[in-house]
Amino acid sequence: MMSKLRGAAAVVGIGQTPYYKRGASPHPEIKLALQAIVGACEDAGIDPTDVDGFISYASERNDAQKLMSALGTKEVRFASLAWIHGGGIPGALSIAAMAVATGQANAVVVYRSMAESSTQRLRVMVAQGDTAAQYLVNGLESPAQILALRSQRMIEKHGVPRDTLKAMARATYYHARNNPRAYGRNTVLDDETYDNARLISEPYNLFDCSRENDGACAVLVVSAERARDLPRKPAYILSAPMGTLNGGGALEENIRPYSFAGQVGVATRMWAESGYGPKDVDVAQIYQNMTGMGVGSLIDHGFCTTENAGEFITFDNLIVPGGSLPVNTSGGDLAEGFIHGMGLVAEAVRQIRGDSVNQVPGAKLSLMTGGPGDTMSSTGLLGSEETL
Amino acid sequence: MEYKFEQVKIVGGIGADDEFWRGLERGEFCLPTCASCGTWMWPAHFRCGACGAWEMQWNAIEPRGTIFTWTRSWYAFDRVSERTADVPYVSAVVEIPHAGGARVMGIYEGTDEALRIGVDVVGHILPPSEKTKGYPSIVWRPASSGPVA
Ligand SMILES: [Zn+2]
Repeated sequence: MMSKLRGAAAVVGIGQTPYYKRGASPHPEIKLALQAIVGACEDAGIDPTDVDGFISYASERNDAQKLMSALGTKEVRFASLAWIHGGGIPGALSIAAMAVATGQANAVVVYRSMAESSTQRLRVMVAQGDTAAQYLVNGLESPAQILALRSQRMIEKHGVPRDTLKAMARATYYHARNNPRAYGRNTVLDDETYDNARLISEPYNLFDCSRENDGACAVLVVSAERARDLPRKPAYILSAPMGTLNGGGALEENIRPYSFAGQVGVATRMWAESGYGPKDVDVAQIYQNMTGMGVGSLIDHGFCTTENAGEFITFDNLIVPGGSLPVNTSGGDLAEGFIHGMGLVAEAVRQIRGDSVNQVPGAKLSLMTGGPGDTMSSTGLLGSEETL
Repeated sequence: MEYKFEQVKIVGGIGADDEFWRGLERGEFCLPTCASCGTWMWPAHFRCGACGAWEMQWNAIEPRGTIFTWTRSWYAFDRVSERTADVPYVSAVVEIPHAGGARVMGIYEGTDEALRIGVDVVGHILPPSEKTKGYPSIVWRPASSGPVA
């Protein structure tokens, strides 16, 4: 069933600060948030004082209350948080779409700002206080380790080739070379470099794992009606469902089925709500906390199966030009920089506008998946006007 | 170390598994069922989603199962840095067939050859230590390796 929200709202502005090594930002987190939000407003041709909605996802601390005086906000009419970590980004877009489609707000920013030096986010906000004793007692604390459990079973039990992880890593680093903003743009990730990297938590090695950066990214969402009067080519939100199926949730590895990325439910709804399917997608920004989870996302979304993952997920098939599904065309979480995946939204929008550094010619349908393996997730399909 | 896990209790997750840890402290491997409909409930929770009952029953069972998945950590992550000297170490998720397929974590001790999904393992209960953050714990060893003195 098509959703009432299909195409009701669009991203009309993007703002991104430079990405810094974690802990190395010259600015505190709240200033980075302001820079990204003001950047998105300037890109959209909207006065920052007119932004009246503020949305992020779990563990964001720079709320509207702290930002409004610096933005000159006339009135905050709507503020919300998607109750999920990195899995929540497309879901946050969906909340923004609901807010503008129902008239609760007129111009909504969706954003993420991170500066480890000012808030100790990774250690304090994200990690502590929400990891079950069952993990910590048994030497497991990091998402890298916990998600390694998922990918190990995907490889060993379901027969997905280990090389698919390498293909995902190599494609992202390859795309980063053209992106002056990319944190990993100087890393040439060939087979040998990847194969010789030190192990982190099997099956992951160093290049399979994201490392948090400092930085901020914001996108501005308005109604489809208003979007048509603004200077930038709108990226319409076709569908961005959030949630999890029965058998999922915070279950300490007792998820049933023990799915690869936890996105079968949201992906199925997204295809139904948008009226499109995997074969229609021109380009995909795949959230990769870890490469194996990106592989799982592609399987959960129906781009391939466990049986043919090895044929579909190859370096050549994932890159611009020539690949049937170019992924992470800005360098993604691994090589552009990791601010909990928010940079992927900006790149998904650029592909529709036609101004990515690794542009897929004529891209009209642009996918952005939320964090895989999260206790709940979301996924989103953006489209140009002709896809409505 | 002479303390009960409650004194060093980790806050996080659902937090309905106190009886699991108390069981290990007594030397028993206990997993819960719903007191009303008998459904195995793991991780433990405060209400049975199958029938709506609020009471759990804790059952001492044999600690044996099969390896469901595993990872070998080659890096001492911050919050488990007590295990630095053990790197690389293997953490396993073990499926307990006689507990409704509940999956219970633990450290794996055994050969690399036996470290495969589906291999039968037996749990051995260890007393609290710094490595286990003051909690009692379970290590899983391949069933084929026989009893350990
Ligand atoms: Zn029950």
